Amino acid sequence: MLVLAVLALAAAGCGGEDDATTGDTGAATATTDAATTAAETPETPTEPTAGAEETTTGPTTEAEDTGDGQAAPADCDGLSVGIAGPFTGDAASIGQEQLNWARFALERFNADNGTNFALVEADTQLDPAQATTVAQQFVSNGDILAVVGPAGSQEAEAVGPIFEPDNLAYIGMSATRTSLTGGDYPTFFRVVPNDDAQGPTDATYMVDELGAQNVFIIDDQTSYSTGLADIVQPLLEEAGVTVTRDSVPQDQTDFSALVSRISDDTDIVFLPWQLAASAQLFSQQMEEQGKTATIFGSDGLFSPDDFSAEGAYVSSFAPDITALPEQAELVEAYTEQYGEFGTFGPPTYAATQVALTAVLAACEAGDVSREAVLEQVGDVTITDSILGAPLTFDANGDVEGAQFYIFRIEGGEYVLVE
Amino acid sequence: MEFFVQQLVNGLTLGSVYALIALGYSMVYGILKLLNFAHGEVYMVGAFIGYGVLTMAGGAADPVLPAAVLVPLMFLAAMIGSGLLGVAIERFAYRPLRDAPRIAPLISAVGVSFFLQAAALLLFTARIRNYDTPELIPFSVGVEVGPLRISLVRILVIVTAVVLMVALTLLVSRTRLGKAMRATAYDREAAAMMGIDTDRVIAATFFIGSVLAGAAGVMIGLVFSRVFHFMGFLAGLKGFTAAVVGGIGNIPGAMVGGLLIGLAEAYAAAYLSSRFSELVVFTILIGVMLVRPSGLFGTPALQKV
Repeated sequence: MLVLAVLALAAAGCGGEDDATTGDTGAATATTDAATTAAETPETPTEPTAGAEETTTGPTTEAEDTGDGQAAPADCDGLSVGIAGPFTGDAASIGQEQLNWARFALERFNADNGTNFALVEADTQLDPAQATTVAQQFVSNGDILAVVGPAGSQEAEAVGPIFEPDNLAYIGMSATRTSLTGGDYPTFFRVVPNDDAQGPTDATYMVDELGAQNVFIIDDQTSYSTGLADIVQPLLEEAGVTVTRDSVPQDQTDFSALVSRISDDTDIVFLPWQLAASAQLFSQQMEEQGKTATIFGSDGLFSPDDFSAEGAYVSSFAPDITALPEQAELVEAYTEQYGEFGTFGPPTYAATQVALTAVLAACEAGDVSREAVLEQVGDVTITDSILGAPLTFDANGDVEGAQFYIFRIEGGEYVLVE
Repeated sequence: MEFFVQQLVNGLTLGSVYALIALGYSMVYGILKLLNFAHGEVYMVGAFIGYGVLTMAGGAADPVLPAAVLVPLMFLAAMIGSGLLGVAIERFAYRPLRDAPRIAPLISAVGVSFFLQAAALLLFTARIRNYDTPELIPFSVGVEVGPLRISLVRILVIVTAVVLMVALTLLVSRTRLGKAMRATAYDREAAAMMGIDTDRVIAATFFIGSVLAGAAGVMIGLVFSRVFHFMGFLAGLKGFTAAVVGGIGNIPGAMVGGLLIGLAEAYAAAYLSSRFSELVVFTILIGVMLVRPSGLFGTPALQKV
């Protein structure tokens, strides 16, 4: 009987392997003559892509014909960008937000530039094995010239060797592990700063501003989380802080026992986690057991809807875009179409923008190859980036001048403190 | 010492939820020899129904009903809703396969599980919903025994679970339906020949098992806040483990198994590390399987002649 159980679980594990898409049908739609095609209705926001057997094209160019009417060169038709993210599974709340923002970026890009690029969507479930399959499918689909994602650092590591021989550029929207841009993955770029920036920012703030004496670090056993914890821990120890370290699986549902291990003289609990709702529960269970230590979270916890522990600190790779007046129109347009969002969406918008801009530039230069697109990605400059600053890449594929921000939660509001 | 007792409370909370889930697995297995892998999803749906009632009543922060009315209402709605879902699953996914080889309903169960997960994803999106229980019943409200704090929510969960388990035990041992269930579990054909409507008894078993899973869903929502489409998978796995440890098909076994798994998880997290809690749980499973392959309370399967 146990054998049966194992079989069933194995079946569950394999279920997602067909999820990656081949973009054929979508590409066919995209190549249809824009003049004779009625504008398509964008995908409804609530529609999940468990099967992911679809591609999205934004409104076709007809809607723009009355506008500036600039048409893309004909051979740009039918080109696509792949997006890989955890659209189902444990981290689906992150993946769905990333997917919606990528679709949103595509719609706006197509409308603004008179292109009809398509998006090929593939589900990785935050699993490196799944991401590998997806990567192979992307490589074998000739229409795909650049990739947005995958989401997790562990996945970005897994797909690098597959993309490299084909010169397929991939742009991370949430993978912050430092070693990714160290040269081992030459086609990797990311629009978010890496943990070399985040770790010291967080550690310095804890020591200098919060006067930390005794810090409890709990990682969530992902590559992102352990990497960040490994950076912060020695920095704190060097500053004379007593550090206790523990770890908890990301899918843990109960933290009571862990919370009761927080000693009374602990002043900060550092949670470099990816699921904000888990940190919310952690804070509630701290309150339940009368623990008074302050929670300090990393960028993964930046999510005003899901994490609102009074007095907690959160670092983030972007200023709160809802508070930036120049992004108000964008935020409103997104919210109207897709609803609320957290911290993972806007970087995906930027990454998608980078990928599409590079594809268009390569196409206009008359060289539609992955190699040309890869070169173009390195040269992309987005002056009014959604992330609040001009976006360009340095030689390693990291964003130039990236910095982290720290927020304090006061009455449910995220207040920028540094 | 207070640390030890605190973990006892944590473990009992977790364990009583696992026990309720394990009961559903065990009852269905006992009567049909079927592992109902969709059971975890029934629990997930129960948690969502509880969340729905809470939201309709204005949410935890600003409820239109007092907590003393709202919480029982959430339980009632989730239990009835999950119960009906269980009956529907049995009717459409298992009954047509009643005489098929045993692997067929098992595959069907996995299919129902995927179906319900995807349906929840479609209906509620992947966002993790939060009961925000502390707004309704502050966690700081509770009993203080010396330095030990037991919050009201945990007391509520443990007491509700005990009441449900006692009620189930009485139902199975004292009522006509219980007698029919035991007879059907013992030998379905013979029970049918004695005039028992076995289809109805099986439907009733699914209803009762799913009612318990629905209650477990609301309990998890109340204590651990988070509700999402994928929550049934791990909880189902733990419930299943509890049922196997206790001896699948055996009702007291499921209760003991659930509590054992919950306590093991809490103590492992407290005294070793959270990273070992699942290791300890599944080590217990393997250990029990090695020493008593039919589970702690199980009786070795008799070959029917």
